[in-house]
Order: sequence, then structure tokens, then C-alpha cells
Amino acid sequence: MHRRRRAPLPLELMLDFKKHQIMSIFRKQLYKLALLGALVGVNTACRKDLLNTVPLTNISDLTAFDTPDRILAQVNGLYASAKVGTFLGGRYILYNEIRGDEFIQTKSNTVTGLNTWAQSVNSSTTEVTDTWSNPYTVINKVDVFLAGLDANKAKVSATLYTQYTAEAKFLRALCYYDLVKVFAQPYTKDNGASLGVPLRLHAESTNANNDLARSPVADVYKQILADLNDAEAGLPLTYSTALLNTTRAHRNTAIALKTRVYLTMGDYDQVLSEGSKIVSTTAPYQASTGVNNKLETNITTVFGGSYTGAEAVLFFPFSTNDAPGVTSALSYLYTNSPGNGEYYLNPAGTLSDPVFATGSTDARAALVVVNGPNRWLNKFKSASPYPDYIPVIRYAEVLLNVAEAATRKGDLVTGLNLLNAVRHRSNAAYVFAPADVSTQSALISTILTERKIELLGEGFRVPDLQRLLQPLPSKTGNGSTAPGVAVAASNYIWPISVNETSTNKLCVPNP
Amino acid sequence: MVATSPRKMSKVNPIASINQAISINPKHDKCMHFIAFPKAMGRPWPLKFKIFLMMQLAAVLLFVVVFQVSAASYGQTVSLNEKNTALEDVFRSIEQQTQFTFLYDKLALKKAQRITVSIKNATLETALKDCLKGQPLTYRIFEKTIVIKRADDDGPNPDPSAIVASVPFQVIGKVADEKGETLPGVTVSVKGTRNGTQTNIDGAFKLTVPDGGAVLVFSYIGYESKEIRVDATRNFNIVLHSGSKSLNEVVVSGYTTQSKQDFTGSAARIGADDIADKPVQSFVQALAGQAAGVNVIQPSGVLNNPPVFRIRGFNSISLSSYPLIIVDGVALFTGNAGTFAANNPLADINPADIESMDILKDASATAIYGSRAANGVVVITTKKGKKGNTKVNYNGWYGLTKAYNLPQILDAADYVMIKNEALVNGGSAPAYHLQTLSNGSTVDTRWYDYAYRTGASQSHDLNISGANDATNYYISLGYTKQQGMMVQNTFDRKVGRVNVEHHLFKGLTVGSNFSFSNSMNRAPSTGSLPGQAAQLTGLAREAMVLPPNLAPYNEDGSYNIVGNSIGYGANTILTGYYNPVVLLDLDKYSSETTALVGNVFGEVTIVKNLKLKTSYSINKSNIENLNFTNPYQGYPGYDSKGSAINATIRNNRTDWTNTLNFTPTIGKSHVNLLAGYEEIYTTADSWGATRTGLTDNYYTTFQGGFTTIVPSGNSQGQNGFRSYFSNLNYDFDKKYLLSASFRRDGFSGLSAGHKYGNFAGGSIGWNMAEEDFFKNSSLSKNISSLKLRGSYGQVGNLNIGDFPALSLYSSGLYGSAATLSFSQAGNPDLKWETSKKLDIGINIGLFNNRISIDADYYNNNIDGMILNAAQPPSKGIPGNVITTNIGSMYNRGIELNIDAHIIDQGKFKWSANLNFSTLKNKVTALASGADIYGTGLDPSNITRVGYSMGSIFVVKTTGVNPANGQRMYVNRNGKTVQYNYAGTPQWTYLDGTAAPAMDAKADGVIIGPSIPTYYGGFNNNFSYGCFDLAINLGFSGGNQLYNGTKTTLMDQRFYNNSTEILKRWTTPGQITDVPRVVYNDNFSSGSSLANTASVEDGTFVKLRNVILGYKLPPSLLPKNKLSSLRVYLQASNLFTITKYTGTDPEVSSNGDSNAAPGVEKNASPQARTFTIGVNVGF
Repeated sequence: MHRRRRAPLPLELMLDFKKHQIMSIFRKQLYKLALLGALVGVNTACRKDLLNTVPLTNISDLTAFDTPDRILAQVNGLYASAKVGTFLGGRYILYNEIRGDEFIQTKSNTVTGLNTWAQSVNSSTTEVTDTWSNPYTVINKVDVFLAGLDANKAKVSATLYTQYTAEAKFLRALCYYDLVKVFAQPYTKDNGASLGVPLRLHAESTNANNDLARSPVADVYKQILADLNDAEAGLPLTYSTALLNTTRAHRNTAIALKTRVYLTMGDYDQVLSEGSKIVSTTAPYQASTGVNNKLETNITTVFGGSYTGAEAVLFFPFSTNDAPGVTSALSYLYTNSPGNGEYYLNPAGTLSDPVFATGSTDARAALVVVNGPNRWLNKFKSASPYPDYIPVIRYAEVLLNVAEAATRKGDLVTGLNLLNAVRHRSNAAYVFAPADVSTQSALISTILTERKIELLGEGFRVPDLQRLLQPLPSKTGNGSTAPGVAVAASNYIWPISVNETSTNKLCVPNP
Repeated sequence: MVATSPRKMSKVNPIASINQAISINPKHDKCMHFIAFPKAMGRPWPLKFKIFLMMQLAAVLLFVVVFQVSAASYGQTVSLNEKNTALEDVFRSIEQQTQFTFLYDKLALKKAQRITVSIKNATLETALKDCLKGQPLTYRIFEKTIVIKRADDDGPNPDPSAIVASVPFQVIGKVADEKGETLPGVTVSVKGTRNGTQTNIDGAFKLTVPDGGAVLVFSYIGYESKEIRVDATRNFNIVLHSGSKSLNEVVVSGYTTQSKQDFTGSAARIGADDIADKPVQSFVQALAGQAAGVNVIQPSGVLNNPPVFRIRGFNSISLSSYPLIIVDGVALFTGNAGTFAANNPLADINPADIESMDILKDASATAIYGSRAANGVVVITTKKGKKGNTKVNYNGWYGLTKAYNLPQILDAADYVMIKNEALVNGGSAPAYHLQTLSNGSTVDTRWYDYAYRTGASQSHDLNISGANDATNYYISLGYTKQQGMMVQNTFDRKVGRVNVEHHLFKGLTVGSNFSFSNSMNRAPSTGSLPGQAAQLTGLAREAMVLPPNLAPYNEDGSYNIVGNSIGYGANTILTGYYNPVVLLDLDKYSSETTALVGNVFGEVTIVKNLKLKTSYSINKSNIENLNFTNPYQGYPGYDSKGSAINATIRNNRTDWTNTLNFTPTIGKSHVNLLAGYEEIYTTADSWGATRTGLTDNYYTTFQGGFTTIVPSGNSQGQNGFRSYFSNLNYDFDKKYLLSASFRRDGFSGLSAGHKYGNFAGGSIGWNMAEEDFFKNSSLSKNISSLKLRGSYGQVGNLNIGDFPALSLYSSGLYGSAATLSFSQAGNPDLKWETSKKLDIGINIGLFNNRISIDADYYNNNIDGMILNAAQPPSKGIPGNVITTNIGSMYNRGIELNIDAHIIDQGKFKWSANLNFSTLKNKVTALASGADIYGTGLDPSNITRVGYSMGSIFVVKTTGVNPANGQRMYVNRNGKTVQYNYAGTPQWTYLDGTAAPAMDAKADGVIIGPSIPTYYGGFNNNFSYGCFDLAINLGFSGGNQLYNGTKTTLMDQRFYNNSTEILKRWTTPGQITDVPRVVYNDNFSSGSSLANTASVEDGTFVKLRNVILGYKLPPSLLPKNKLSSLRVYLQASNLFTITKYTGTDPEVSSNGDSNAAPGVEKNASPQARTFTIGVNVGF
């Protein structure tokens, strides 16, 4: 102890003769006092924010609409959640193909869709539960976004407010359309009188509102069209870059989707009506307003790697840092190299068409490659991590939608012209046999065949069969077979996810 | 010097013990040696030196006491008038009249007769002569001290039989633990008297006993007391067993330590020996079957796979059911830290450093941990130095491990036959053929040989410990290098520990416990960890299902591969499965942890009985998970042309605890009042990247050349916890016991306004055996202790994640554009869940506690259980869950623990522990009443209101239709339907008309609980002379298991099958339980659509461990070099009696999952191990 002179304290005076001892005791006690002091000091200096930790890698819902940049990022986020690998970025397309007859599975792997291929899914199969929940995830994000945007209207310009609302509604329509196709009877079966899916149109973020009944198919389509009409009205004509014109919805995108929706409903007049907005009456067929959508000169360019051409009405972008997830990537599933060779093309399917025959001059033959004893679809071919853009709508489909509608409405000339537009792009010299195009039914059949050829592997096979109320064909591979599914069979459409029926008491399962 | 004097006389017992300690210390010369030549030893031994100094001081003091009092003059007179008075009383009278003091040996005095004497003003010498007249005693006077001696002191020894009869005599002896380590400070007393002593630093004691009928009682904290009748023995060698089961032991209930006698909660204590000598990676594995209410399951034979660890059943649905594990005050991280190889963070604690584990089960015991205690608490205390000579111990073992009970599968010929039959039945042409090599041999590959091996393991632990009055220390080093039964599965751990505690000066103690470890886990892709059942690279499944008619290598030595598949061989179908040899050669999976766990603390005695303790702990672990997969074969390396993933996880936890402990004794009331404050801050950061596309196949590490890198495994979280707590333990006269605790806890993860919760618990107890009425009753003859107790309290659950209350958005990419997306629906009402735990128990000690029985009834009601409330997917809530206080369930049951020293006489000893628990778990409420399904591809569990959590839930099959060989099921309408993979339609009624497809959920039925409704252990310890034998049996039952591996083994894809498949249906009318084989049929086996054919009774009895030890007699040990040496042989998993047909009824493929327990699916079997080990004390 450092000692210095000072006035003696009473205690010291009193016990002066024992001063030495006192100091000695004090020294001993000093450690205790110091420790006590340290404790008190630490306790008062404890972490003030200990119980108010905030996430460093997430943004709070309270500030998610604070800036125009965040709102724009949310719009991108809506697209991004629609294009996840387990939904429109890969698996949704796969399932709509492998329930059909174009592909043969090779791995007997339930993780990559064996039960879907073999028509043996049930209400708890991963494919079913994912395909049910993925679109709804997007739908609620749209609903939450729309509510938030309304509450923060002042944060963006009126133009952007309108545009973002339209983009969100476009995506909601796309998702309801993809849902109702899989989980409800085709609209064409009974004009939408069957049970559709629950229509969720309000933002959900709490435990409330679990129970909601399935709306009729017609009501779901009505909602889809309402959203698409709103989208058409609010979407911009064009964006500033080709990339945005491909990856964000513009007015022509909404119209193009309407041609698909109306075709699915069998409402061919409306297909023609919508088609007329974006398909010129004469060759070269193209959209004359908004983005100048038209066919690429060579189909291989569409899948060539730039992806932002005029044919790409809506493609979902992927990148090395935004990959679809390995086992969901179409390249991984459809190709043997660089992919994993899970599904090869069924030789008895569309592959048997002369377009794909040896020596074919059709450009689309180049989208099929031979590897080992089998032939594989090569539209999606980027190497791991598989950043192929995945098509949602391309202009060729629009032309075929209109061609079919026109033909069904008796306009065989337009039908054939549009058919030829698609065929001649890949095989300019090709002339359809008169027998294939001269009658309405023959032409329809030829157009449907052309759809199979043109859109092979892009997820149209089963929707086309179902809107036409045709059975799902059986298929036979090397040692593995899958039975056909009759239109009346219970597994013609998929069961409602058990996760829904067990939590939503008003949602009845499919019979 | 004193030390050389053979006999000492004493008046005061404590001094006597030190005195004796010196006088009979055989190692004394060694100490002398240290003093004389301290530097000659080459290294200083400061502590030992200090102890020695202390001893010297004590000896000198004693010398003074003895000889300073020698009477200088006898010139004093004495008057006595005593009638039939004890000699001792007469001496006291003389002392009062003179300045002399008597020193005498009580033993000698006991022989004396009572005297009658009447003298007046006699000299001292006269008086003494009168008193000792006719007595076998004599006296000598040293200065002011009169020393009374036996008259025949230097004569021949008395007749021993005479001594046995009634004569007091002196006994000596040594006390050691079961390893032969001497125990200093053991209380040795003569039962029923206050006559006693303590053993010295060499464990030696010397004591006078009244006669041969006396009973010596040896007691020592943490050891079972021992009572021995003296009879004719004069020299005792006592072995005390570190007892987990004695009523005299303590319970470390968190911030305080209580004697078990005063403890009113329900706890089980596991001692160091119960986990010693077992070839485990973490201490948890050694707990199986050791305590009532504790259920431990090793999920597979993969090294360091975190065991399932449940205390009194499930206490949560969505959150972890893992108990809170505290080591020296530090909460450990639990779970699996390894992304690629199993890595149990609990293995960072060296099992050899553990002194004891207290498993706190009821609210009273756990309430002091309040909000963290829902799953029970395990309080681990590591070893401390004990007073006495510096102890150096070495424990080592070498062991072999092998897969146990691999499924019997088809050879190549049978495989080809079955698969072709299946193809033909399915309408295809045969495609499988035996492959003949150029040397004429046929390929018949036993893939097990490539996946499994006999693994060799070794482990070494060295520890040094010691203590004196001021300081105790324990330093240890451990190294273990273990090979698993699966090839390339290894576990290496280096761990060091320093525990030190020092009394700085009176009233202030400081200390520190630190453990530093490095663990390296390497494994192939085992496919045996949770979520891996469907992993194509999983070695356990590959080894079962790969075609035996395919070879791993081509004849030219190259790998047999085609694309990303094992090659065709002679088959015309490509399997699509990988050639495991390529994966084993080229892929790498590892998880390495470097961990620092420790604390520093200080304790101040402010005033008597009032202590302030502060402790600052850190728990820091850095985990590096590495993976490389080759570009030739497998996943994800093949399609990404080589892939390397590095990910680092950095876990950090600091914990500052301050407690004030007041322990006054007021009359017969003993109070222990604790108040405390605690702050815990935890962060978990992880980061990493995935590199793909090798620029050159030369590279095999992340740092090599790749074309692409993307971020992966990145996360960051933190949470804070603050608590104010208090605890009161009170007993009146050791009879009436009361304990109460109250705690106010705050956790950052809860919603604003609900962050704090209050948790209270209390218990009462009655030591009935301490009551006079009981002592006086005849019951007391057999019942030595009897305590009734009850407790009730609330505890909570903290395993809720960092930010479940907040609604959050996540950032990502849309191609290359920035995104922000709704990613979590928070719950602004999220608050603490509370379990209400009730426990009623009784402790009975019979026959001097030779048998002790603990019985408990418990009832844990969990209300407001935090649940990831399932949302209808149509609501689109991210993840389809919202963390909500909803749901309730209970766990009820009884527990019985019996410890018995069945035989404890002579050389042969047998002690046994039987523990038995029952568990009834029932879910009473769930969010929206919605079922929760198990996880995985084909879930076979359900959590449904009214049933046990995670019950086995599958569709019902009624077997095989003899008419057509199709599997028959019963659907939701009670109708029987049958399945034909090749049929159109596949599902038909028995009349052949189309039937709706069976649905796993809509047609599923609950078969029974998946976790045992009763379980326990029967642990026996035998010893005969130098031999000891431990036999540990475990059992459990009442549950159903889903044998998912069986469905894989009966699957009609290209998979190889169990030999059971040979019983398949082939002809109409045939009665069998194996359906007709149809190629690619994955339904009839249950691979898809789990069915009752694979649900089996999980009841079993298992011989977990047998340990046979031999301890060298001290006479055979090299003098002054070794103090003890024991060698032992250990075998584990020797046999299991069960009806379960899978590899092991304890396999749990989903690990610690609450929602999907009791499932075996494609995981590796368990291991059987044999080890030889040695325990050496220097």
C-alpha cells in the first residue's frame, strides 16, 4: 500500500496503536474488495443489447419497403421464388414431361421422380407436396408484396407502382394456372365445374385463416384472367435492356400467357383475340407493339446461351451464383453429359418422328444427342452448376397456340401459315404432306405433333394431353415400364398435398 | 526425530492422525530425499515440497506438544476421593489439581479397571502408584506430562483371542480406491462412537478400537461408505468404491452441491468408473443403460455419430430434445457439427477427464436452469487434484471393431436368377447374366468387403494431479486414434486439460478449468446420418444393394465404370449406381473441430457462511468441414467435373455467472440460499464456398484449380440470455427438507414484451429414518434410511433458434439482379413455453444401505409448447411454419433404481445396479390439431393428438395374395386392395376391378409408439481378489420399429436382395409373405408406401459391455515406481436378444429426430468392439 500523510480517520485515531495490524487486515481484504468491485462493475457494464439481438443477414419486415431499391429487389424476389429449381426452374417442367411418354427413366431413383414417372405418387410424395406448396409460396409473396406496396405507395413513382403491381399479378396468375392444371380436373372436362384450388388473395403471415375451401376450376381461371388483364394494362411495353425484356414480364408477356390459358380452357376465340395483339397477320410473324417478339432464325440460338433473343418472351435466368440446384437442373436430368443422364428420350415417343431421324435436316434434330445406346434432349446443356435459362414462354408456342385456335375455328390458312412458320424456321424446305394439313382434324393433329416436336422437354406434354382429355400413355424402357393412365382414373390428376388437407379443414382431397 | 519413534501417544485425535501419518509413512524417506537433494531430482516439485513442509511443521508442533510438557518438578500434592471411578476421570481430577497433563493410549486405558481410592495431600507419584495399583499400567513423567503406558509394553504381544473378546487394541490399515490409488482424508470411525481418525496422505490410518466387535466405518465424499467388523484383523486394506449410488454421495445440481441425503429432487449420478474403460468417442455413448430415466441410443456404427439422448422421453416436437449439458458451468454445443462426416461436439470433452455426471430429471433439480431445462440437465464435473502425493495416472487401450449383424444378401447366381425372374414377370426380357472373367472365374463380389473392415483403435490418457491445503490441480493429456468398422472412417482426438484451484488466502479462492481439444473426423459418405437414407453415395446402402455379379475393377485393373455408373458387366441394364471403390479411393469427407472450453472463477467468503462466486466461461469451437468429390464417379463430383466444398463454422459462447451463497446453520436448521445473475451470449458464424470444374484432375483440394466458385454454407446468428435466479435449500435437523427456486430469464429470441419469463420450482422431503419413532421401531433394523420427497416446478425450452419471433426478408439473386424476399413469418406473441414437472419419489436404504432403492413417479406436462406450427401450404408462409406456443403433451412414468452390494464379504464381491423406467408419452394438442408427419422420402412416423409422438404410421398390409402373389393392403374404407406393378391398373380389388391407389397418409394407420415405453439397465460388478468383472446389460421395449432397410433389401429395382427374397411367391396357392417379384417394383417391398410388413417389435435385451480386469497385487509392483496397475479386457455389443430382424433394435437413422424416431433405413449396422486396456498409477 502506498501511504501518504492525511488527517487520521476516527477509527485510526481510536486504534492508532493497532494501525499496523489494521493496514495488514485491510491489505488482505483488499483482494476481496477489488473482486467485489469488479463484479459490480461488470454487472453494470453488461451488454445492454443482450436481449435485443438483430439478424445481420436478414432485413426486417419493418424496413423491407423503405427504399425504391428494396422494393425493386422484392419484385425480382417474386420472380426468383417462381423459378426455384423445384418449381418452374426445373422440376415442374420435368414432372409435366415424365408423366407423359417422351422420357424413360434410367436411375430408378425416387429422389429424381421415379414415382412420378411410374404414375404412382400419393398425397405425401415429395413431388406432390412440393408442386403444391411452391406456387403458393410465390402467390403469398405476391399478396404480401401487394399489401406492402400499397402501404408504401409513396416510396416509388406512380408508374413504377403500377408496373410492380402488374408484374406481381402476372406471377400470381402464372402460379395459379400451374397449380390448377396439376391438381384439378381439366377445365375442358366440364367447363371448370370441378373443384379447383383454394384461392388465396390476401397476404398471410400469421396463424390465422388456415381453413379455406377449394374454389371451382372456373373461378380459378377467372382469377387468372383477371390478374392477367390487370397485368396487361399495367405492364410496361418494353424495358431498357434485352435481358429485362426476357426476364421481366412486359405487356406482350401477359398477352402471350393469355393465349396459353385460353387454349387450356378451350376458348379458341379468346386465343385468337389475344394472339392478334402480338402476332402479325402476315409473315414474318412478330409482335408489332411492345417488345418485338418473333422467332429466332435458328432454334438452336434460343438455347444457345445468350437467351435474350426476340423469341424469349419470358425466360427465367440462372447464373453460376444463382443455380437451380443440382438435381433439379434440367440439364442434369435430361442429358448424359454434362448431366447425370436420368431421363433419356423415349424412342417410341416424338423421337420417332422423322424430324429426329438420322440424316434429318431439321434444325431441331440438333437438339438431340446420342450418348451410349440412348438419345438425350440437349436443349439444356450448360455444365454444372447448370445456369441454363429456363423458358416460360417463347414465341414459337404463341404461334402454335394461335395456329391451333385458328384451325379449330376453321381458319386453316392461318393455321397452316403459323405451323409452317414454326416448321420452316427449322427446316425451310419442308412441305407438309397434303393429307396432314388439308382437313381441319388433320391439321390440328399436325399442329399438335409440331408442338410435341417444337416444345419437347419444355413441360407441355401432359398439359396438352389433359386439356384435350386424352389418357396419359404407358411407356416401356429397358427393364422398366410405366402403365398408362385413363382420363377417368383417380391418378389422372395429382392428389392434393396431405400437408394441405391435414391443416386446412375445408380443403377436400381429390377422390 | 519423531518420525523414527515407533509409538506415539496422543491426547487430541486430529493431531494423532497427523502424527500417525508421519510415523507410519513408508515413503517418508523419499520425502526426506526431496528435502535433502531437491535439485538433484532434475526438476522441482514445488507442491509436493510444500506438502512436505507442512508435514514437517505439524511433526515439529507435535513434538513440542509431547515433550514440552515434561514435568520439571513433581513437588505438588494430590487429594483423591473416588469410588468405583473410571481411571480416565481420576486422571482428569489429578490434572485439575496439578499443572500436569496426562497423555495416554486409550487402548491401554480400556484394559484398566475402575478404581476406588482415597488419599489426601499425597505426592503425585504416590497418587499415581495408588491409582495404577493392580492395573496393567505404568507411568512415566516428562516435565509436566504424565504418560500412561501399558505395563507389558515391551513384552510379548497379547493373545489375539483375548483381544477379540473385549480388549481395546490398535488397528492400522490403508484405504485405496478400486484402482489401487490411495485415498487420503478418508474418515475412519468406530461405529456408534466419536472415536475416529482420518487417513493420511498415503491413505494410512491407525486407530484404537474398543474390541473385536467394533465396526469400522470408512467414509469419503464421492465414495460408497464401507463398514467392516474388526474381528481379529489388525491390519486392514480397504478398497472404497467411487459410488454413484450411495445415499451419502453428493448431487451437483448446478450452482450448488448438496448431499444426496438432503436432496429432494430426482437425479442420477454417473461416476467416472461407469464411463471408464469403454472405447467411445463421447461420454454420452457410455451412458446407455446406466441410469433410470435416461435413454441413450447409438444411431449407427459410424464413429462419433451423435447419440440419441433423451431424459424422460420427448420434451419437444419441433425443437431439439437434447438435454442441456453443462461442463464445469459451461453449456456445451450439441447436435452434429459435421456436414460431411459425423462430428459430435460432445466428443470434444475427454471422457477420461470426467469425475461425475449428475443427470437432473425433475423440476426441482432442473429449475435452477429454468428456461433451458425442458429436456433435463446433465451437469458434468471434471476431475480435481486430491490431497496427497502427486498422482500420475496412465490409462490406455487398444481395440478392434467390426460390423455386427450385416444383413444376409444374395450371391451373384441367386441375384441373377431373381432379377431375371422379376424382369420376365414384368414382361421384359432377362437382362442379368453372370460375368465370366478371362481366367474362367465368375464375378461374385461381396461388396461388404469393400465397405467394412476390422478397425483398430487406440487411446492414451495421462493425467497428473495433486493438492495441498492451498492448491489443487489436475492436468491431463489425451490422445485417441480410432478406426471405424467402415473403411476410411477415423476419429482422432488430441485433448488437454488443466484444472486448478487455489486458496489465495483465507476466504478467497480462485481457479480455472480449461480443456483444449482438436478432433478430426474422417469418413466415407456413409449414408447413415440423418437425412442421408436416400443418398446414392451412401456406402451402407451401396454395399447392400450393388449387384454381386458386377466387379469393382475391370480385368485391366481400371475402374469398372460407364458414365456416372458402375459398368454393365455382363448385364444389359446399367444400374445408375456408383462404383463405391472409386468413391472410396478419391472422395474425401472430413470434419475437424478445435475447441476451447473453460472458465476462470473466484470465490470470496465475505463473512462466515456467505460466499460470493463469479465465473467467466468461454466455449469456443471452430469447425472445418471439408469435402472433395472426384470427377469420375459419384455425386456431386461427376456432373460438376470435380467438386470441393470448404465450410467453417465458428461457435462462440461466453457465460458470466455471479452467485451469492449463504449457508448458515441456525440451531438444527441448515440453510443454503443462493442468488445469482447470469449472462450468456452465443454466436454462430459459418462461411464457405463450393468450387467446381477441376482445371486439372490432379487437384484434390479446395485450394487447387477450379473454374467456378460459389458461396455456400454461409450463416450468422447470435443470441443473448440473461437470468436472475435464486435457490433455497433448507433442512431442519436433516429430517425435514425443503428446496425452492425461482428464476427470471430473458432470451433475445423471443418477441418484444415477452422476452422474460418466470420459472419456479420447489420440492419437499422427509428423512423418515431420522425420526426417533422410526429409529425406535423395529423397521430401523433393516431400513437404514428412508426418504419421501416430492417436487413440482416449471421449466422452459431455449432451443428455439435466434430470431423466431421476427418477420424477415432474405436477399438473393434473380440471375444477377438483387432480390429481397419474404423468408420468415415471425410471431410477435412468441413467449416462453413451460413444462410443468411433477415428481414424487422415495429413497430407501436397506441393511446399512447395502441396498438402496430410488423410486419415482414423474409427470411432465408441457403446455404452450413451442412448435413450428404447420401452416396450410396454400397460405404460402415461408417454410410453411410459424414458431408458435401451441401444442401440449405429457410424459409420465415410473423409475426404479436399485443398487445392491449383494456380496461384500471376503475376497468375492458382487454389486449390482438395476434401473428401470417406464414412459408414456402422449400428445394432447397440436396446432390446428394437424398431424405432423415424419421426415424423409417415405415417412413412417406420425405425431397425432392422442398418441405417442412420432408413432409408427404406415399402411396396413395383410400379406400376399396366394392366388397371384400380389401384396394386399387394407384401404381407408376397410377394403382389401392388391398391387401389381406391371398391371394396368396397378391397384385392384381382389375381384380385379380398378381400385383407388393406396395413399400413405389417407390410408395409413398408427401401429404403436416408436420409442420404448420401458427401458433400463442391469449392471453388475464382481470382484474376486485382484480380478474385477463388469457386465452391463441393457433392455428396452414396448415400442415398434420401422425396418426401412428391410424394404430396401426386398426392393425389386436392380437392388441386390436379402436372402429372404428366396421365399417369394412363384406359384398359385403358395402361402408366403414375400410377394411375387416384378422388376422395378418399389411398392410391394414398402420402399415406397411404407407398410406394416416392415414394422417390428423393438423389444430387446442387449449385452452392452463386459469388462474383465486384473489388478496386480501391490507386492508384484516395482517399488516406488508404480502404485497400481490394472489390465482389462473389454467387449461390447456381444449379443442382442430381440425379435427385430434388422441390424440392431437401437439403430436410429433419423438420429435425434423427435418426429421420426425408431426408424432404420439404409444406415450402417452397429459395431462390436474388443479392447485391451491398462490403468497405471505411478
